[in-house]
Amino acid sequence: MLELVDLHAFYGRSHIVQGVSMRVAAGDGVGLVGHNGVGKTTTLRSIMADGPRTEGTITFKGADLTGVPTGARVRRGLGMVPDEEAVFPRMSVEENIRIGALLRGAKMADQALDLAYELFPVLAERRAQPAGTLSGGQQKMLALARGLALRPDLVLVDEPSEGLMPINVELISEALRRAVKAGTGVLVVDSSFDLLRTVCDRVCVMQRGLLTGEYPMAGFAGPDQLVATYLGER
Amino acid sequence: MDAIWVAALNGLVVGASLALVAAGLALLFGVLDILNFAQGDFFMLGAYAVWLILGLGLNFWIGLAVGVVAVGVVGGLTLMLLLWPLRHRSHALMLLATLAISLILEQLATNVFGADSKPVAAPVSGRIPIGHTAYPVYYLLVVAAAAVILLGGYLFLRYAKYGIWLRAVAQNHRMAGLLGVPVVRVYALAFVAGSGLAAVAGSLLAPLTSVYPTLGLDINLDAFVVVIAGGLGNFRGAAVIALALGIVESLGSTWIQGEAVRILVFGLVIVLLIVRAQRGRGAVRV
Repeated sequence: MLELVDLHAFYGRSHIVQGVSMRVAAGDGVGLVGHNGVGKTTTLRSIMADGPRTEGTITFKGADLTGVPTGARVRRGLGMVPDEEAVFPRMSVEENIRIGALLRGAKMADQALDLAYELFPVLAERRAQPAGTLSGGQQKMLALARGLALRPDLVLVDEPSEGLMPINVELISEALRRAVKAGTGVLVVDSSFDLLRTVCDRVCVMQRGLLTGEYPMAGFAGPDQLVATYLGER
Repeated sequence: MDAIWVAALNGLVVGASLALVAAGLALLFGVLDILNFAQGDFFMLGAYAVWLILGLGLNFWIGLAVGVVAVGVVGGLTLMLLLWPLRHRSHALMLLATLAISLILEQLATNVFGADSKPVAAPVSGRIPIGHTAYPVYYLLVVAAAAVILLGGYLFLRYAKYGIWLRAVAQNHRMAGLLGVPVVRVYALAFVAGSGLAAVAGSLLAPLTSVYPTLGLDINLDAFVVVIAGGLGNFRGAAVIALALGIVESLGSTWIQGEAVRILVFGLVIVLLIVRAQRGRGAVRV
């Protein structure tokens, strides 16, 4: 479904991603792991045409995405849940969920609300509350619920567990696992071993802008082994 | 007592028109983060549209419609085309660009129409008694029209698809784009609506002020005051403060000198600015 071939990404003169090639199919859960600053987020943003200048090929559902703007990529079935500033703070929880769903009509917007509230019932309780007044964990849930409620064919999720309490990591992991089970491709950047184990079949390790290996998630006995892998100690 | 009622109503008329101009200004600030110095000139162009159409022997309301469409669509989109390439540059550059557009429009209006003041006849000439004073019906019509337009704008921002998207783009245009919101179309809507609101106000107020090239200068200054006091980007705040400003200035002028009232108003704005400086800027709110 998604294929990156020799992807390079640049911010100004900085060459962040230096030749990444990978595939994510429908129903795949793939983790992208590595140190801070190795280019994981830039890879996701490149796939969405969200900022960096890119070279190389990004193919989605058989079509080359070169020159295709962000909005058109979304309409083709790609979605992204960014790490920071992912909610509209002065809009209600309900409005936050409806924003993207409105593209596909009022009926889809209602369905998106139902699905989002089913994934995270706490959002239903706070539907009229401005998103900016939610806790950090609830804001992460809102962003993820909205991303999944749009029913993308493939969703890119950046650091969903960062700064969350273990109970919230469990909830978010479960929501992503359900999406994978339902046939959505998930490419997630995260460092939580529990989340990666719940969501992903395999992880791709990134170092200094390059993919240095791809491993089945079942092959890692624990978080230390995973960390050792992306530190290059294994 | 009659004088007070009449002053209050006059204030409401000025405040209602000011609310339209300021709401457009707030809308544009909300999405693009800039104050548009040319907003008053769109007000002026709206007034000229009515004068021109009346000169052709056509109806006032046709003039208003032509003014809104021409200034809103053509003016708004031209403004967008000029500012779009500058959107990633410093705000000062965009401000200067809008100032340049304002100066060009004023000079063009002077060259084409002359510097003299052109009278515009009100489309409704009746009067209704308020105490012992016969008050022009048209003035009340201006207030009613502004109220309907502002209420429509509020409901649009609150419930309509593009209204929701407009607020979303104003708060976080990157995230809105990642959700598939057509961000460029939303920006265009803000430019068209912002300019169109000024043109409506200019058309409606033309019979009260007559029409001349620098007509927009005073209302622009007042609109800036209103938008700053109402909270930058705050559509409803701008409307409420505009009405309040119109009434306070008009009522205040019955007791103390008009200039002294303005000094007091500006003093209040400085206090508000200091308070708001501690709260940060706002995006489009309803």
